[in-house]
Amino acid sequence: MSKKFIPLFLLVAVFLSSAFILNASAENSNMSDQQVQTILSNCSSTKNTLNQLHASDALLRVNMGQIYESISTKMMNGFNERVSNNKFNNSDLVNTTNDYNLTLNTFRSDYKVYEEHLSSAIKIDCSKQPVAFYDAVSLARSERDRVHADIAKLNQYLDQYKSAIEKFEKDFQSNNGEGKN
Amino acid sequence: MEHQIHKLENDDLSFREKHSFSLFIVFSIFISSIIVVASMFMYSGSGAAQLDLSRPGYVSVRSQSVVNVDDFKNFPSLGPMNQNVINEFKSSYEKQSQKVKSANAFGGDSLNLDELGLTVILTE
Repeated sequence: MSKKFIPLFLLVAVFLSSAFILNASAENSNMSDQQVQTILSNCSSTKNTLNQLHASDALLRVNMGQIYESISTKMMNGFNERVSNNKFNNSDLVNTTNDYNLTLNTFRSDYKVYEEHLSSAIKIDCSKQPVAFYDAVSLARSERDRVHADIAKLNQYLDQYKSAIEKFEKDFQSNNGEGKN
Repeated sequence: MEHQIHKLENDDLSFREKHSFSLFIVFSIFISSIIVVASMFMYSGSGAAQLDLSRPGYVSVRSQSVVNVDDFKNFPSLGPMNQNVINEFKSSYEKQSQKVKSANAFGGDSLNLDELGLTVILTE
């Protein structure tokens, strides 16, 4: 029974190893010796910069994440419920809050992915694996761009919520005949 | 035959009796290890690890984390709705949203490969 699988295992092993070899040779062929030397000479300074960025981004994630979350849980939810409790239409406010919360979750997961990629890049010994280091930093860079895009989207929803408040205010004033104080 | 089975059972019982404390320790370590592995899995998988500034790499920024966000008050969901309430909420909301918008978090190209000195021109 097990003898039947030996050729299959060998075939899979040969296929996997050839894929790795091809991948490695393709990576190496993309960089000249001079380019590799550039990475090697800037290796330690780049590592220091990445370590500082890793720490400062973690701080940013904690502090900004806290504020973004509080805006949703402490402000938007409270106001939406207040509007609803007073029998006014809060559908625009609720829809925007839901979109905001979804984006906040995306931001959390995207930051996690970014942090993992940056940590992986920091762990790579750039003096021994310059090509892998370069690729890892490039990947972390694109993940950081994604996190920034999430932040831009969150800010956009903050503006959208503000517009929804203003719309509600107008409706409220027209229904109640109240002027601005 | 029956005698042999009896003897084996007695041997087995005596082994348990002799090593009951060691077995208890080994079993406890085994259970603890499983719990630790499960906890670490949850710690890293949930994203809590990314927020844990007590990790060694974050010593330099640990003191700068905002622990107290007292200026964030829960907006009460109960109460009347009038222009004053709307104005109060608008002013508070504007204050907090400006805080995050002005920070432009994760903006700027800090991982720019040119600035990091990793610029390479890819060959065909």
